Amino acid sequence: MSLLSVENLRVEFPSHQGPVEVVKGISFDLGRERLGIVGESGSGKSMTGRALMRLIAPPGRVTADRMVFDGQDLQTLPDKAMRRLRGARLSMVMQDPKFSLNPVMTIGHQMSEVLEFHGRQNRKQRRESVLKALRSVRIDDPERVYRQYPHEVSGGMGQRVMIAMMVILEPDLMIADEPTSALDVSVQSQVLDIMDDLIRYKGMGLILISHDLNLVSRYCDRILVMFKGRIVETCEAGQLHQATHPYTQGLLASVPVLNEHRNRLPILDRIQLGSV
Amino acid sequence: MIDLKDVTIRYGDAAVVNNVTLSVEYGQSFALVGESGSGKSTILKVLAGQLSNWSGRIRLGEHELAHGRDKALVRLCQMVFQDPYGSLHPRKSVDAILSEPLAIHGIGQRDQRVQDAMAAVGLARKFRFRLPHQLSGGQRQRVAIARALMLDPPVLLLDEPTSALDVSVQAEVLNLLKALQEDRGLTYFMVTHDLPVVSFLCDRLAILRQGRVVEEATVDQLKQQAFRSPYGQELLSHSH
Repeated sequence: MSLLSVENLRVEFPSHQGPVEVVKGISFDLGRERLGIVGESGSGKSMTGRALMRLIAPPGRVTADRMVFDGQDLQTLPDKAMRRLRGARLSMVMQDPKFSLNPVMTIGHQMSEVLEFHGRQNRKQRRESVLKALRSVRIDDPERVYRQYPHEVSGGMGQRVMIAMMVILEPDLMIADEPTSALDVSVQSQVLDIMDDLIRYKGMGLILISHDLNLVSRYCDRILVMFKGRIVETCEAGQLHQATHPYTQGLLASVPVLNEHRNRLPILDRIQLGSV
Repeated sequence: MIDLKDVTIRYGDAAVVNNVTLSVEYGQSFALVGESGSGKSTILKVLAGQLSNWSGRIRLGEHELAHGRDKALVRLCQMVFQDPYGSLHPRKSVDAILSEPLAIHGIGQRDQRVQDAMAAVGLARKFRFRLPHQLSGGQRQRVAIARALMLDPPVLLLDEPTSALDVSVQAEVLNLLKALQEDRGLTYFMVTHDLPVVSFLCDRLAILRQGRVVEEATVDQLKQQAFRSPYGQELLSHSH
């Protein structure tokens, strides 16, 4: 049975010109695999991730024919049960550690809070778990980081803290929304490798949301390409370069390569794509 | 066009850039690459006259850089920043943003010049009286480039000009920068950590690490992945 099953998911926001649908009926199934969702800003990829975590607040509206996570209906689940699910079984890594960590709490404190909420251990055990989680994301000096505030660590370190916080309860599914786009290229691969190891080791499912096609094809098994709120193409990660949809092809072609000989980069013809 | 000789830059007592010597020829496009904290943006800030605690010698063409900004410097070089969401005044229209440098420098025919600049960066006329929040990221970056070009400077300083943009929009902005350079013979001094972008836009590059230049290379060396320094090779291995 699949871990997550989504059918006809729609996300809608009101505007002065009437309701705007940002996710227009997407469906997919996910097992314990690594799924990538790619697309540009405004394609609805982040909204899809947030809808799965039930993090879209009114006036935003989420509807779906089916949205089931491991036998539990995410649409009808009471808020209290959803809170127990979130963090423990379903978790999300956000884009920017600068804005997603609590600036007035030490890292150790905010990581233990997760454990405290889910009420599994006493204070001493919690501290041990936090230190272990920090070590698992290759932070060499976890005792020091435990006492530090988010502004005292670098971006790469902050992002590792967020990942540690998300895996501390060993969830079944991790949703990572642009987990590395705020980071340097050199730190980027480091953070992604750590995440990848944890996911393989613990056998988690992953949804990696990103605008970077190459990155997604490297760290995922399967890729969904989104454009204007719809899935326009699904393919195996290894076959991304044989993609057939003009949007996917356009995106791939517009990325400069290391050995670049084109004098102009091809750009997307959005007017034409709109009619595809 | 740009000459730095033994430039050391300090924040307080800490030297973040040590004895950097670089030179960029007129009409060339030069990239400074390195990780965060390597000092690349700091060098750019000094060139833009935003930092004054530096020693050494910096020349822009015939102009000897003083410790601070003056009108002559801003007419020589202008900067395009990384984040088009943060670098435009949120309550000023495109027209006001583009007219301001002209007003400060007492340049006439503003109406015509604003129209020309918008045409040069491919912004339709209907955007002229819009506010930044009514524009997309790519359009905003076009406004930022147009603003940098208003005083017709021979040098543009580019601080990661496309890293906040989607790949498809990045392609549009990179094409624009390339076309502008071909048309106007601009000299580009770009800071980035994206080597493929360097491969597309630049002629030469220098690799900076912990405030020192570890290697200078041509773009052909980059294309053939033939950096000499181990650190250069390491950077290559990170950019797939």
